[in-house]
Amino acid sequence: MWKSIIYKEWLKIKWFFIIATALEILVAGYIFIKVQHDFKFNEANNYWYLILFMGAPYFTYLKFVPIISALAISVAQYFPETVNKRIKLSFHLPINENKILLTMMLFGTICLLIGYLVLLTIFYGFSTFYFPSDIIIPALTSITPWFLSGFAVYYFVALIVLEPVWKYRFFYIVVAAVFLPLFIESASIGSYAPANPVLFVLVIILSISLLFSGYRFRKGEM
Amino acid sequence: MSNAIECNNLTHYYGKKMVYENLSIHVKDGSILGLLGKNGAGKTTTINILNGFLQPRSGECLIYGENTQHLTPATKARIGFLIEGHIQYSFMNIHQIEKFYSGFYPKWDKEPYWELMSKLKVGKNQKISSMSCGQRSQVALGLILAQDPDLLILDDFSMGLDPGYRRLFIDYLREYAKAKKKTIFTTSHIIQDMERLIDDVLIMDYNRVLAQRNVHDFMHEFKQFYLEVEDPAIDLSAEEFVANFEKVHNKVEIYTYESEEFVKSYLKKKGIAHSNFKEVKMGLEDAFIGLTGKY
Repeated sequence: MWKSIIYKEWLKIKWFFIIATALEILVAGYIFIKVQHDFKFNEANNYWYLILFMGAPYFTYLKFVPIISALAISVAQYFPETVNKRIKLSFHLPINENKILLTMMLFGTICLLIGYLVLLTIFYGFSTFYFPSDIIIPALTSITPWFLSGFAVYYFVALIVLEPVWKYRFFYIVVAAVFLPLFIESASIGSYAPANPVLFVLVIILSISLLFSGYRFRKGEM
Repeated sequence: MSNAIECNNLTHYYGKKMVYENLSIHVKDGSILGLLGKNGAGKTTTINILNGFLQPRSGECLIYGENTQHLTPATKARIGFLIEGHIQYSFMNIHQIEKFYSGFYPKWDKEPYWELMSKLKVGKNQKISSMSCGQRSQVALGLILAQDPDLLILDDFSMGLDPGYRRLFIDYLREYAKAKKKTIFTTSHIIQDMERLIDDVLIMDYNRVLAQRNVHDFMHEFKQFYLEVEDPAIDLSAEEFVANFEKVHNKVEIYTYESEEFVKSYLKKKGIAHSNFKEVKMGLEDAFIGLTGKY
């Protein structure tokens, strides 16, 4: 049964997943082409100085990539379920309705995670080639909330798209508009270190929020 | 005979608008029941309650003894559900969708599905979204037959189908249901089709049930009489024996469960002058309109 659910979810998102992952690889590649270019025109020490003390991070281009990937995958995954209330088909399957939603959510999360891990691996690999750990560790701290924002966007889209009541949808959009900027504030490198654990916990809590929308749908709220 | 579906004292409102109050219906195991009603009479509301997609304000529906708000996966596996408009996962093709559903049902039998698919002129990789309404209906029906459920709940199966596909759908369904002793609960807005399919009829009007009985008994007992009255002002709609009274100028239609003799003697007793009195043969659609009225 679980294989069948995963099969259906994969059919919906496979092209979006492939394109999003390709985008992530391209952006990572572009960043390090640019780093290579800047290295040619600056001494390594000067370049590192610029990054560490002048607040000129080399990874800014990454900022919205996790959000764009999450948006593509989540819309591809959840929007087809709401066209003609097709989610009824899923809820009619001989499995507990909450388990179906959680499986869908888990599958989307894993796909997103795979894309992010590919991006992070490339990013980390190239970084160790060009930079010392004094730069890499704060860089990873700085990009962590951006990746967390990707997961948050994914969970918000699931919550909003599956929600059957328009006033709740609007309310969730407002909450998302207030909540998401927390992840992408402009800040000096590494300054998100104390906030990251809190953001992580918030994202974990948000991950099961689609159950509320599913519950309201099953109760026939309009 | 036990009941596959039993709804007791269902009451539901949308906001302040009452859909029905204290509605009780039952569907016997192995029978085919057609739920007929005008738009807004509560057909889809009832289907949604049966499938657990709507919580009634009060009352309950049981399917195989389980409350439909909390059906267990084992009971859901016994129910085949056709959504209005033959909605399916339209991003799949016919191979993908068969593969998807086969993973859920232990009794899955792909033979009837592929038998129906062989009649469709669709490409191997053609998505369901690019199929015609008739082709989509066959896909939805094939999937239900392959699931081999004990109870089929079909919400307006005739929607969007041309007469050929409707006939194909009904003939397949009836033969399947009778051969395998399946129970069917169905709605359709094309009532003439229902006559070929159903054993029992449930006719709903706004807020109430007008009839729930064997369809042949209903067709035998429910009658239409046509007459032309001399006084066009006559109105019999309030009479107890009249189920519905339609009049255009002096041309009158009386719908009733009473016999021709009864109606004639009533007219005579009341001194209602008339001519051209005759009983009109009705199909199920005529009887439905006769019972619920044209408006």
